[in-house]
Amino acid sequence: MNKLLNFGIYCWSWIATLGVFLVVGLLLFYLLSQGLPTIGKELFFGDAPAWKAILGQVRVWDALWPACVGTLFLVLIAALLAVPLGISSGIYLACFAPKSVKRILSLLVELLAGTPSIVMGLFGFAMILFLRNTFFPNANTSLLLSSVCLALLILPYLIFTTQAALESLSDEYLLIGPSLGFNQIQTVFHVLIPAAGRGILSGVVLSIGRAAEDTAVIMLTGVIANAGLPQGLLGKFEALPFRIFYLAAEYRTSAELDSAYGTALVLLSLTGILYGGAFALHKTLELRWNQH
Amino acid sequence: MEPTLMRHKPFCDIKNLHVSFHGRTVLQKVNLTLSDSGILVLVGSSGSGKTTFLRSLNRLNEHYSGYSGGGKIELKLSGSMQDIHCPDLEVTELRRQVGMVFQTPNVLPVSIAQNINLPLKLVTGLDKAEREGRLIEVLQEVHLWDEVKDRLKENSARLSGGQQQRLCLARVLALKPKVLLLDEPTASLDFKASHKIEDLLIELQDRYQIIAVSHSLRQARKIAGQILVMKEGQIEHLLKKDQFENPEMLQKLLEDIF
Ligand SMILES: Nc1ncnc2c1ncn2[C@@H]1O[C@H](COP(=O)(O)OP(=O)(O)OP(=O)(O)O)[C@@H](O)[C@H]1O
Ligand SMILES: [Mg+2]
Repeated sequence: MNKLLNFGIYCWSWIATLGVFLVVGLLLFYLLSQGLPTIGKELFFGDAPAWKAILGQVRVWDALWPACVGTLFLVLIAALLAVPLGISSGIYLACFAPKSVKRILSLLVELLAGTPSIVMGLFGFAMILFLRNTFFPNANTSLLLSSVCLALLILPYLIFTTQAALESLSDEYLLIGPSLGFNQIQTVFHVLIPAAGRGILSGVVLSIGRAAEDTAVIMLTGVIANAGLPQGLLGKFEALPFRIFYLAAEYRTSAELDSAYGTALVLLSLTGILYGGAFALHKTLELRWNQH
Repeated sequence: MEPTLMRHKPFCDIKNLHVSFHGRTVLQKVNLTLSDSGILVLVGSSGSGKTTFLRSLNRLNEHYSGYSGGGKIELKLSGSMQDIHCPDLEVTELRRQVGMVFQTPNVLPVSIAQNINLPLKLVTGLDKAEREGRLIEVLQEVHLWDEVKDRLKENSARLSGGQQQRLCLARVLALKPKVLLLDEPTASLDFKASHKIEDLLIELQDRYQIIAVSHSLRQARKIAGQILVMKEGQIEHLLKKDQFENPEMLQKLLEDIF
């Protein structure tokens, strides 16, 4: 009986794993088969000459390049705002916060995590309306506003993963620093954070992915279909997920729909590159920690 | 003055030490004056409070949730007896002077060299050349140098259990402590490796005041200058050398106690 149960569990976990592989594989295969043929100079730059487009000397119409740059800037600015803030908050919650403060703050972070992204977008939109009616009559939705709202969206992931990574260290490990005469700051920065690095990194990766794919937030805060390359922090911009969204919603020829797949593929690769960057950063930090 | 008194000056004076976690008493009514006559070995059944006693001496208990405790502990640090709870004595400085090696080896997950270097850098502020000298010195002191001198940059997790234990000891010795607290230094080691550590401790006993927990009577008899027997959070006996030199006598004494 027991043997049968064991075997059942064994089979089930195999099937489940296989299922996940199959679904992801199918998805990738479909995306590749539809999107790969469309990838080319045409998809990125339309009729414009490539080098001039990359340097921003000519305007690109109906092609991906401005959206690529827009998404890249969007994610980088959002990460620049959210990563230091989120990791520090996580460290504070795990290592320094008194119990009562911790309970209240954790509740607030959970609330933030549970906020749908469309609400975050609405919040940004409302803020612009407020600013227009009060201090800055010229305020408008922009790249900066979108990045700030995205940063708010990914903040809870960063806080949770950092906190969890630090709190999962063993009691014995927590005591190495103090037993050697380190003060609390030294213990946190030289013993605990390096050991929690992998967990913190996974939070960063997760939040980069989240920031790159979100459409609801940016739709209300500054993305438009034909903005061209982003013109500074206060300008409008294009973004890949938004482009996929409107290509899929408003295509007139099947070629346009296919280019949506191509765009999805590009978004996937861009996110992959950003992940790679995060890993490389982690590796160098780890190496630095290991040397004297 | 009597010469024997000169030799056995007190190094540790404890008055009414008591410790509890979450309201449950772990140590109580510990009153003790210890003289420096060799290694002090702590024995007692599992859960009798040996580790907690060690952690009282470097105030590490205070890091656990639910801790409450009190009493007065004086240790001989830099020549004179000092109250370890005195506000003038920074707790980080106390812990540098009262080094502790835990029951299970807990190396930092970095290179062998960095395990010793990092504490040196953060706690002593020595410059790079001095740190390197100290590193070699302590690794030789714990007889680890020959085994690791070609692999100092390797991750210390790859060392064997006994090597890790000696690395932890070296890490503490590098900070030049006055007192060494060793929680079952041979717990995870085989017979031969245990012997090595025991011989090492005997070598070190002139330079450091050592307090070690042990589970083995053989080991206690081999290394101890005096044996402290604990039971249910209290000090049951303090045995002098002549009381445990004869194995049968010691056996009988301990049978009476447990
Ligand atoms: N941080 C803590 N929180 C709660 N209880 C604790 C804590 N540390 C120790 N205790 C309790 O105090 C008692 C003594 O523990 P201690 O670790 O000092 O025993 P020990 O003599 O070292 O045992 P062993 O030989 O098994 O290592 C045990 O009952 C233990 O459960
Ligand atoms: Mg113990």
